[in-house]
Amino acid sequence: MFAAGVFEDIFTAILQGTPPGAVYALIAVGFVLTYKTSGVFNLAFGAQAYVSAAMYFKLRVEDEWHIVPALVISVFVLAPAIGLILERFIFRHLRTASAVSKLVIAIGLTVALPALFDLISGFEAVAGLTPVGIIENGDSVFYDPFGLYAFSRDELMQMIVALGAVLGLGLMFRFTSLGLSMRAVVESPRLTELAGVPADRVSAFAWALSSTFAGMAGVLIAPQFNTLIAPDFFNLVVIAIAAAAIGRLVSLPWAFVGGLGMGIFIALFKTFLPRWTDDYAWLDIIEDNLTPAMPFVILFAVLVFWPGIRHAREGTDPLAGVDPPPPAPIASERSAGLTMATRVFGVVFFSFILSLMFFQADAFWIFLVTQAVIYSTIYLSITVMTGLAGQISLCQGAFAAIGGFTVFQMFDRFEMNVLLAAVLGAFIAAVVGALVSLPVLRLGGIWLAIATLAFAYFFDAVVVKFSWVGGGNTSLLQGTRVPRPTLGPFDFSNDKTFFALAVIVFVVVSFFVVQLREGTFGAQLKALRGSETAAESIGISPAKSRIIAFAVSAFIAGLGGAMLSIHQENVNYATNFVPLAALFWLLLVVSLSSRTVDGALQAGAAFSLFDPLILRGELFAWILRSPDRLPSFFPISGKWRFVLFGLTSVQFAKHPEGMLEYGKRKSNARIDAWLVRRRGTGDDDDPELTDSKSDAPVEETTS
Amino acid sequence: MSALLEVEDITKTFSGITALDNVSLNVDSGERVGLIGPNGAGKTTLFNCVLGQLNPDEGAVRLGGEELVQKSVSRRVKAGIGRTFQRIELFSDTSVREHLLIAERVRNGTGSFLKDLTGRGRPRKEEIERCDYVLELLGLRDLATEPIEKLSLGKGRLVEVGRALMTEPSLLLLDEPSSGLDRDETSALAETLRSVQAEAGFAILLVEHDVELVVSFTERCYVLDFGTVISKGSTAEVMADPVVRKAYLGTAPVEESQP
Ligand SMILES: Nc1ncnc2c1ncn2[C@@H]1O[C@H](COP(=O)(O)OP(=O)(O)OP(=O)(O)O)[C@@H](O)[C@H]1O
Ligand SMILES: [Mg+2]
Repeated sequence: MFAAGVFEDIFTAILQGTPPGAVYALIAVGFVLTYKTSGVFNLAFGAQAYVSAAMYFKLRVEDEWHIVPALVISVFVLAPAIGLILERFIFRHLRTASAVSKLVIAIGLTVALPALFDLISGFEAVAGLTPVGIIENGDSVFYDPFGLYAFSRDELMQMIVALGAVLGLGLMFRFTSLGLSMRAVVESPRLTELAGVPADRVSAFAWALSSTFAGMAGVLIAPQFNTLIAPDFFNLVVIAIAAAAIGRLVSLPWAFVGGLGMGIFIALFKTFLPRWTDDYAWLDIIEDNLTPAMPFVILFAVLVFWPGIRHAREGTDPLAGVDPPPPAPIASERSAGLTMATRVFGVVFFSFILSLMFFQADAFWIFLVTQAVIYSTIYLSITVMTGLAGQISLCQGAFAAIGGFTVFQMFDRFEMNVLLAAVLGAFIAAVVGALVSLPVLRLGGIWLAIATLAFAYFFDAVVVKFSWVGGGNTSLLQGTRVPRPTLGPFDFSNDKTFFALAVIVFVVVSFFVVQLREGTFGAQLKALRGSETAAESIGISPAKSRIIAFAVSAFIAGLGGAMLSIHQENVNYATNFVPLAALFWLLLVVSLSSRTVDGALQAGAAFSLFDPLILRGELFAWILRSPDRLPSFFPISGKWRFVLFGLTSVQFAKHPEGMLEYGKRKSNARIDAWLVRRRGTGDDDDPELTDSKSDAPVEETTS
Repeated sequence: MSALLEVEDITKTFSGITALDNVSLNVDSGERVGLIGPNGAGKTTLFNCVLGQLNPDEGAVRLGGEELVQKSVSRRVKAGIGRTFQRIELFSDTSVREHLLIAERVRNGTGSFLKDLTGRGRPRKEEIERCDYVLELLGLRDLATEPIEKLSLGKGRLVEVGRALMTEPSLLLLDEPSSGLDRDETSALAETLRSVQAEAGFAILLVEHDVELVVSFTERCYVLDFGTVISKGSTAEVMADPVVRKAYLGTAPVEESQP
């Protein structure tokens, strides 16, 4: 009798997991399709799904359109249009770029697309207005074919449409000529090197098709959510990645099976975990949170334990045909005179800001500038990870949170000195960083990035909830409070004193980062960034260097996170450190300058000050000397930040040193050239920049 | 005296393809040995197995009597193996001197991390001088501050050689150093290699398609075909071996290649 009950439950869970599983499968298949045809690891699928879902919601619920036109516009017009635009204007030009730089661009789009859609369409998520499905009475009419689980009409539609779409794809692969070319590309990239595959058409079509799948999936899954917000859809794409990873990101059938399996697996977990928790109380906390974390756990496990994935080479665009050329550099030398001049300018400028802070600024501005400095400290962790080591980590937010929570816990339990606790937090973060990197070290590149993403979500969904981390239920009421420290005669509850402390921490950390960059370790990382094979051949151990880079980077993030919590006198995990916030940090740093300390400082300033200073118009009001003269389009929506920095990350593939750094080098070269001309020395080299593709004479030749 | 490098019965397969099949090979100290064979014969694979970038399925690799197979690439480099690459591998965004300097500092840099933090990790004068000395030997002195992206392929190959030399190898593996070079550049390269070798006294194992270079440069030579050694001996003997002529020089023209 007992056994019969269990089987019934299993069967019920399978039925229950199939509808969401079908939607995951739809995204996973689309995901593999783009990855295989263009080498783009398209994290922005979630954003695309969101845009279609929001469009549908707007037309159907807000404007009360009929189902069919609303569906056509949002899924069959808007979704493929976005795919085509992305392909035509961005990814087609990046065929030869590295997988990592394409990933950064996809992250940029993840952040930019939802914000852009909201701004253009004036869409705002309204709590209480629930998304609806693509059939009348979708959530109120049920069918129960087996007498075990009642499918809603929405769920039936999810299954029918998703299965139908995938089936359609299979038929198209078999019977149409474009489908056949596409299949050739997907199944055997080598074939595409032969003539006869219309590369542009295939990749455009693949993008349009997979984007339609994403849009469809977004509309289908939307009724599950109470409110329509973009992060929920990002989770969706992570589930799809986990599903696709089961097929090593290359197999369409396995991606489909993986998607379905993921849905069923989650349902099984939901059914059975509560029973185990009766016996094991410590599972309680996991029960509440493991379901959302399940995809990330699976993803991490797949990356770590799946033997095949270690051998899977990173995808470059199979349609590219050639090996990636070395990234175009721009002359980085500048004359001593110019260096001196910029240094002097920098010192004068910062002294000016500092004196302004101490003698003029009010509490509001002191708060913001202090926050900017602390964020700059956190961003130095990205300087180390991405700028120096050339790796993408998407869990810097978790590292920073570890710093913050350590301070909170140490004070809460032991009343430890907060500054001491901050250093302790940094060390703990460093250890965690090293541990996270350990199992995935051999992977590198996008795999490492995805593993860190999985870890960030796991941290978010599970680790934070433990009372020895996030404080559990008590902190729900009281917050995770942290006091300002005192140190001898200095009382840092004074904002100006604390500002000074923040500046000192930043300066010290910058000093060490520069030492590392200029030292042997920096040289090793630079070599690894340039060519891992060659770096190994002169005795550099990639794994060891990466562990150190991870630990150092996590240390800095942890320290910065602790400082941020002390500054705000609260950890404020949900606003400061969630995974999506960390994605935005990365974009800021790489689109400004990921290799220099100034880059981190500018990114910190952009994060903290861009909104009040530029968007809300404070700066212009100050220039115009009156807020009344401000043009009426102020204040500008803060969402423009996401659009701006999300879209500037597009240039990452061409200028991995960052937009600002690129501009700086360019103007340095110009000024130098001008100085040379003024002095009239005729023997200078061509001051033209060396950033065009054509002068990369080091070419591959086969004998 | 036992050989410097001993490769003993190495076998390596890639999902069905046997790239190396029971290959054995020796190189003595200070010797110049050639390794030739048609495309896809397994020459580069052999290099990868010697330096540890690939692990052979079976067999042993010894350097100066010391077993290498379980060791990491970086340990093998420290043990004295340097190499260059058939598909040139340079560090992007660095100058010529920086290339050598990185190698030099990796060689010196024990316990580097703490030194770095305390500011004692910057290039020292002796290190820069040593780089410049090697640059001088290779005739690259004038190009020291050039970004490597601006170099011609021939100079790029020299930079690779220089970088390998900085690790003070007792054995240098050169993978088709002349590919992509014209006749004059090739003979200049051979000349340079010979004089540097006379200076430093390391052994060279040379993979090369340019038969003239092999004949003029090496003393002994091995021939690989489909992963097996089909001939070995003094270079002159090997070149006269009819088996070699048939497999290598005879039927298939040298230039035809799979990528
Ligand atoms: N990483 C790898 N994975 C799978 N097969 C490989 C790999 N490396 C080499 N091979 C295969 O092993 C065989 C030997 O290749 P190898 O590169 O060693 O030849 P080679 O003698 O260096 O040829 P060439 O003169 O063209 O450089 C080839 O059939 C090649 O396709
Ligand atoms: Mg080869």
